[in-house]
Amino acid sequence: MKRFLAILLAVVMVLGLVACQSTPAADQPEDPVASQQPEEVVDNAAQIVEEKEYEKTYKTYFSNSYASFNYYTTAYATVREIVANCIDGLVEPDIYGVYRASLAEDWDVNEDQTVWTFKIREGLKWVDHTGAETEYEVTAQDFVDGIRYIGDPQNDAYSLRVVRNLISGLYDYYWTLDDIDCGTITDQKREDVVASFDEMVGVKAIDKYTVEYTLESSAPYFLSLIESSMLMLPVEYDYAIALGDDFAVDNEHMLYCGAYYVSDFERDKAITLTANPHYWDAEHMTLETVEYQMIPDGTTSLEMFKRGELDYSTVEAEAYLSLQGTEWEDNLLPTSHSFSTNYLWLDFAGENPEFNIFINNQNFRNALLYSLNREAIASLREPVTPSRILRNTINAEGAIFDSNGVDYTDYSPLKEIKETDYNNPELAKQYMEAAIAELCDADGNIIGCEPTTVDYLPVCSFDVDGKLPVTICYVGTDDEAEIIMAQLFKAMIEESIGAEYIDFQIQAYSGWTYGTVADPLNYDIYFDSLSTGYADPSGILTRLTTDGAENVGCYDVPEFDALIEKALAASTFEERLQYFAEAEAYLCGNGFVIPFISSLRGYYMTYSVPYTEPLTLYGNVKYKGTLVMDEPLTYDEYATLKAAYEIERAEALAAAN
Amino acid sequence: VGKYILKRTLNSLLTVIIVFIAVFMLLRLMPLSGYFPQEMIKETDEATRMSYLRNQGLLDHPIVQLGRFVGNLFKGDLGRSLTVYPKVPITTLLAEKIPVTAAFGFSSMLLGIILGLSLGLLMVRFKDRWGDRLGTAYILIVRAVPNLIYLFFIQVWISLWFKLPMVFDKDIPSSWILPVICLALGSIAWYALWLRRFMVDEENRDYVKFALVKGLPKKQVWRRHVFKNAIIPLVIYLPSDLLFIISGSLVIESLYAIPGTGGLLTTAIKMQDNNLVQVIVLMYAILSVIGVFLGDLLVAAVDPRIKLTEEA
Repeated sequence: MKRFLAILLAVVMVLGLVACQSTPAADQPEDPVASQQPEEVVDNAAQIVEEKEYEKTYKTYFSNSYASFNYYTTAYATVREIVANCIDGLVEPDIYGVYRASLAEDWDVNEDQTVWTFKIREGLKWVDHTGAETEYEVTAQDFVDGIRYIGDPQNDAYSLRVVRNLISGLYDYYWTLDDIDCGTITDQKREDVVASFDEMVGVKAIDKYTVEYTLESSAPYFLSLIESSMLMLPVEYDYAIALGDDFAVDNEHMLYCGAYYVSDFERDKAITLTANPHYWDAEHMTLETVEYQMIPDGTTSLEMFKRGELDYSTVEAEAYLSLQGTEWEDNLLPTSHSFSTNYLWLDFAGENPEFNIFINNQNFRNALLYSLNREAIASLREPVTPSRILRNTINAEGAIFDSNGVDYTDYSPLKEIKETDYNNPELAKQYMEAAIAELCDADGNIIGCEPTTVDYLPVCSFDVDGKLPVTICYVGTDDEAEIIMAQLFKAMIEESIGAEYIDFQIQAYSGWTYGTVADPLNYDIYFDSLSTGYADPSGILTRLTTDGAENVGCYDVPEFDALIEKALAASTFEERLQYFAEAEAYLCGNGFVIPFISSLRGYYMTYSVPYTEPLTLYGNVKYKGTLVMDEPLTYDEYATLKAAYEIERAEALAAAN
Repeated sequence: VGKYILKRTLNSLLTVIIVFIAVFMLLRLMPLSGYFPQEMIKETDEATRMSYLRNQGLLDHPIVQLGRFVGNLFKGDLGRSLTVYPKVPITTLLAEKIPVTAAFGFSSMLLGIILGLSLGLLMVRFKDRWGDRLGTAYILIVRAVPNLIYLFFIQVWISLWFKLPMVFDKDIPSSWILPVICLALGSIAWYALWLRRFMVDEENRDYVKFALVKGLPKKQVWRRHVFKNAIIPLVIYLPSDLLFIISGSLVIESLYAIPGTGGLLTTAIKMQDNNLVQVIVLMYAILSVIGVFLGDLLVAAVDPRIKLTEEA
């Protein structure tokens, strides 16, 4: 029923959006601090915080299963949130996003930023799932052993590429072991290579409390990588190795050195984090427990929030509209940011000859680029101010800054791409006509294209006649939100370019998996997302090169590859960003990848005070310092706190630089 | 009877073995990329993925994998989940999940039998009158209306009116009430529908008319003859319900956040968790043949016309 109603509502929304593309979105709530002076704003915010009563427990939820807690092997974001609160890294951001000491009380870096040295706090012990101290002390060796653990292919570390390529010698160590495992190398013994780790790999315990990382290349973003990557976390190696595959399969088979430990764990049901009584920063802990329960459905979480059974709930677009005019209207808060970008992925090597011929044509890609009304698509998720989630670049704005504080997406020519309004149906049609003039004869036959049956099985199979209109097969999941978005794409592309030129077919594949659709190229267009993982564009862009892992559409872009090479070889960070900006602009401006919105999802309601926890731009939410009120936060309170926070953050960032 | 049981046992065992080997081999025909979630494919290169597959033994010949699985099976090791719950022992998973689902399954089955049979009796007792019409309306609603509509209504509104928890919490006894009722709604309708039908059939039989003409009290005829004969076709399905008790309900477990087995097989197939799929299939195959077997035994026990002999 919910699915039916959602689809019905959304189809109405889609029709409305397509019909009224130029109609402004609904009014935003009034800004309650617009007329206030900065000092007044800060005072008012302080007053809000002082007046409230605070709880010791935060009740929240998760939607997907917690597979295991092994932070080195997990691919699940939900697991990372638990781990981020239970295992501390070397550094962590404060509430303004400035890196501060965590398990490392101090750090140093050489001039070319290839050698990073961290001084670890002394006397810290790992605790178990009861909060009791174990015999294991947190030392520099635990960070070395973390790299040792992930460097062994038999431990199946996840998302190893960046760290493996960055830490000196780790790449060779990993692949030597792998070659031995698969029999390619027979003249070396595994145990000998394992024993050579300390000589081969650029991570060393200089003494008991000093760890040093030697990197393959300059990495000014290294602290952000420490924040974002689970692979940089420490491990008590003897303990982990002794447990083998059982390491971190549940809360009883792991050790903790963070603000919380997992005191209760019921798989697929509930998790309780309890404050670590031996935590190094216990004085800044505000919550005694964080209680998670599994709520797979957004409607249920919202209803439970209203009944006071949860302290937080997301509010999707349709729920947002239903709460207008109710007692909860004042508690609807806009989500703040997402570094994840939704984009259209194009298949340059698929079996559909019509699409294949056209997609390799620059004019056709331009036609696609200019046919999208990004604001209309954004309205599906953000009905109030859709413009705030538009995004024309792959790397997110506000994620990467140079040493002068300039945003990476403000580097030219990426800035021009970022600011272009691509909603231009007339131009789209002109480009399409130019493409047709280049690729078709006077009778509308596509030159070099024979009628055939396109085999995208198990997804679909269809006939193409080698004539206009060009058949495009868009493949997505059968998720109702995705179906609606696909319908919107169809409507706007066919309307902009012309249904006489484009036949946009939607295939909602219920058995959708990456392995059956994207990887074997059983699509012409599909929708996906990429996220800026740390404060450097390389995290995404090096995966998008012609031979990159993310180039599943198999395009061939030597110009882009060359710019990436230049960026990686750049001598300064600013030069590096400049080349990356040129590369990204080339890819997006020429329509090889079509980003359109951020992954930000609408609104939320909460009992917690915003900006009281660390600002983890690249990592996961941390509850250390979070203040939880006994009543839900209102929009006016939120706006005041936000305005005050922005003033304070600007000062903090200025002081840090 | 002993010979019959032995023969059926051997046949059942053969069925289980054939089903299991077929499923095991079919699973090995799935594409290797299916072992990786989308994020993992994007984050890893081909060589790393092959390294992972090799570590998991997934590149070995299927016969070798089958031999390894059977060998471990005899040691009581069902292996570890590959993709759904990576590296978690399957015995641990099943030990966590089956008791939860089984508790809900047994409770709802019991409720379904008691209320279903009661409703069926009520409908027969008041045939073509208010009781019958009420029961028919209930059966129609449950069977004709998409279940998500009334399940969602119960979860949101009934929980609000009666101040019951919206989701299951093992420490709150009242949180069992709504999921058990929701699980039983279908079986209540099923038992009521069929009991009514079979009892009406029996009522119209000559032996019943004869017994009544002979002067036997109606209650006695009902209890000893009509009900007893009408219940026989229903009894045969009771052991098969064992499977449904263990397999759980995807929708209801999801709605009430019950950490059971509902949807486990579907998820495992979707995520190509072959280790988990083969164990669940093996378990379901065994339970199915046991269910059918027990059903036959049970019906023979309650129906004197059926004999479990070669001659019969």
